[in-house]
Amino acid sequence: MASSFTLKSAALMDQMKAHFSTDAGKALTKKIGLVYQINIAPKKLGFNEESYVVDLKKGELTKGPYEDGKPDATFSFTDDDFIKVATGKMNPQIAFMRGAMKVKGSLSAAQKFTPDIFPQPSKM
Amino acid sequence: MAMRELVTGGAACAVPGSSSSSNPLGAFANALIGSSSQKERLQEIPTSTLNTSGNNLYSGAGEPLSALPGAESEHHLQHETKGSEFVSGFHAANDNRLAEVWDGIQNPQIAHFPTGREGQTIFPLGRPQPQQELNGPPQRVLSSFLHSFVNSSHGGVPFGPTQLPMLGLSEGDKRCIRDRSSIMARHFFADKSEDFINGQVNALLSSLEIDNHALARGHMSGRHSELEQYWNEPQVVMPGPHTGDGWADEFAQHRLGQGDPNAWALSFERQHGAGGWASEFEHEQTQMTSVDRMAGANIPSLAAMEQTRMLAHTLAQNSNPKFQNSKFLQFVSKMSRGELTIEDNQVKPALAASGDWANEYQQQYNAGPSSWADQYAHEEISRGPDRWANEFATERAHHGPVDEQWVNEFSKLQVNDWADEFGRQVGEGVLGDDSADNWASAYDEYLNEQAVVKQKSENSRGVYVFSDLNPYVGHPDPLREGQELFRKGLLSEAVLALEAEVLKNPENAEGWRLLGVAHAENDDDQQAIASMMRAQEADPTNLEVLLALGVSHTNELEQQAALKYLYSWLRHHPVYGKIAPPELSDSLYYADVARTFNEAAQMSPEDADVHIVLGVLYNLSREYDKAIESFQTALKLKPRDYSLWNKLGATQANSVQSADAIYAYQQALDLKPNYVRAWANMGISYANQGMYEDSIRYYVRALAMNPKADNAWQYLRISLSCASRNDMMEACDSRNLDVLQKEFPL
Repeated sequence: MASSFTLKSAALMDQMKAHFSTDAGKALTKKIGLVYQINIAPKKLGFNEESYVVDLKKGELTKGPYEDGKPDATFSFTDDDFIKVATGKMNPQIAFMRGAMKVKGSLSAAQKFTPDIFPQPSKM
Repeated sequence: MAMRELVTGGAACAVPGSSSSSNPLGAFANALIGSSSQKERLQEIPTSTLNTSGNNLYSGAGEPLSALPGAESEHHLQHETKGSEFVSGFHAANDNRLAEVWDGIQNPQIAHFPTGREGQTIFPLGRPQPQQELNGPPQRVLSSFLHSFVNSSHGGVPFGPTQLPMLGLSEGDKRCIRDRSSIMARHFFADKSEDFINGQVNALLSSLEIDNHALARGHMSGRHSELEQYWNEPQVVMPGPHTGDGWADEFAQHRLGQGDPNAWALSFERQHGAGGWASEFEHEQTQMTSVDRMAGANIPSLAAMEQTRMLAHTLAQNSNPKFQNSKFLQFVSKMSRGELTIEDNQVKPALAASGDWANEYQQQYNAGPSSWADQYAHEEISRGPDRWANEFATERAHHGPVDEQWVNEFSKLQVNDWADEFGRQVGEGVLGDDSADNWASAYDEYLNEQAVVKQKSENSRGVYVFSDLNPYVGHPDPLREGQELFRKGLLSEAVLALEAEVLKNPENAEGWRLLGVAHAENDDDQQAIASMMRAQEADPTNLEVLLALGVSHTNELEQQAALKYLYSWLRHHPVYGKIAPPELSDSLYYADVARTFNEAAQMSPEDADVHIVLGVLYNLSREYDKAIESFQTALKLKPRDYSLWNKLGATQANSVQSADAIYAYQQALDLKPNYVRAWANMGISYANQGMYEDSIRYYVRALAMNPKADNAWQYLRISLSCASRNDMMEACDSRNLDVLQKEFPL
């Protein structure tokens, strides 16, 4: 339990996972059809990263690095920055400019990575 | 937004030249809104059970205000302290008349007429309005006219256009009235249809001879109009669209003036001379009033140095003599050596400001290319240590003519990436007004983000950010005023009054607590957390406060902090405190906390509160099914708790039961029509179901009630782009609610 408490992004990833079961989530696979790996570091980029694979081909979200070859693009974020990008607080272009987001892989695939992929969290 | 602001404009619409004439009106309108209980949708203030000590405010809520001792004199006092010549002039002119109007205000109709089921006053049909005599000095005509508009909200009586004498309103006044009345009407008639609201507002406006459409059109086209400027100021506490505009213009101009796409660095030098960007921006800075705010924007200077160093290194390896001699390179080199480091320097403030500005600009430009270079190097991993420079040389060899600049290289690489975007941007600037705009807007956003980040980081340190111009400062009893406004559902207005209270009495836990509640309902968690933390300082064991902090931190996904507050709730609870071992709070494990809460729930299954906290706790661990169950149990015990309905809805939405969530939000809104958070959540649920057009309507409604709800603006932007409504993007970015409301009525 304690480890799942460390990342804010984990909550969003959980929601994303559930989102794939909805029509809106399934529509994403048609719209994007790419596989992204997202590495999230608690504080500093590259350190103690947790990886998630957002498979927008199959409509799946799994924890851990991608194992069926290479993802179309791999992103690295810190926990806070990922939340900012996924909730539309920071646009990916700017995140990239500021060095808050590192990209590996096909950049044309990376360009399709936008906040509207993720469901937005509701507030109590 | 209150009637007060409708006329005075206060912070948000201090149109030059109009303020002096309208202030007295404002004071009067203030009295109208402050004391008439026209908005009888009385919601219970979520009160602390422990905290109602010797306070007759709640018991007095349903009675006419005149029954409260001293109320009358207090209101007079209020006016006199505000120095309203208008009211005193009023005294002199016609004392009886004043008394009459005063009575109308002080004895709200609730005293004379039966009260409806929901606390709404029922008016006999054809009841004469107290202010039908629309003659006399313009100020009085206007105020009584506005009074009658407010009254029309009582029973949803449609408000008819009326003939008025010439009032001599200035354009600025008109705009203020139009803007304010639109927003206010949405508060008054939150449970009515959009058509009804528009009808009401249009009737008001046409009587005042304000052309809604003409003004709106002017408003739309003129991003530089005074109103826009002042309207933006209090909401965007930093160089808003103007900075961006200025920059975009600047950018477009230079690009247009630059005939040769190859000569980026060269033309830069040509156009800007030796001073380069720094001087350009120093110049720019003189036009910008708010640039000093930028000075504080925190840019990690080491990272900037590192990046410029890399860039300088790369550039230095370019053998092109033009480049070697270019001022640009010198500028970058200096930057990289720290000679031009501008942050934290000891230079005078003015210089510091422009310095930061230049630095930021610098970083913007340099950080981009160098991380692209970096990226590029990653892409082409086979290259040696001088990867980028080599790459550059190779590419240039392929492309023959040596004349081009490195930027141009980017544009020719046919790598479909952002670097390409950038290259094209610069290379084809002549063609691309559009792309220049995009780039400029990204930059604009970047600036905004800097300021927002700064603000946010202040907030996350628990620093409460007060509004600039607060009309309630100096009010004799701002706490009571705030409670009244809160009850009426005028959240943004209540926030101002409560801010005045906590400025006056910084140790007033109740003031801070209610302020926090108002912010949370207004969909601003950062401010809510900041207020609640102050409330907790003042009263460390207040259960309401501890729960609210737990909820807000859960919303912000800050699990550890949330757990801490929820456990404190348990520990300080008079009943359950004894089953919560104090040693647990040193090392909180979710499982232990959950188990203890479950024990508590078994101890007293009839206590709604413990189920609520349990529901929040399950949200934290993302066991949404259990959370939903807990909230549903609590709702059986407290079916009229609107915030509980919203909690249920949010939980359902987060576990992808959006349809159920919408039902729950609707329940919340039926109980509290001005619940901004529920409106915004409604939008989120539609968006998550892919119904973007619908979501836009709800976001716009939420924003109409609280234009400061930043989250909703961000979500609106996402929905607009998903619904392919890029035509409305500018209205969204400039926060032009008029246009958005017209386009997306609910």
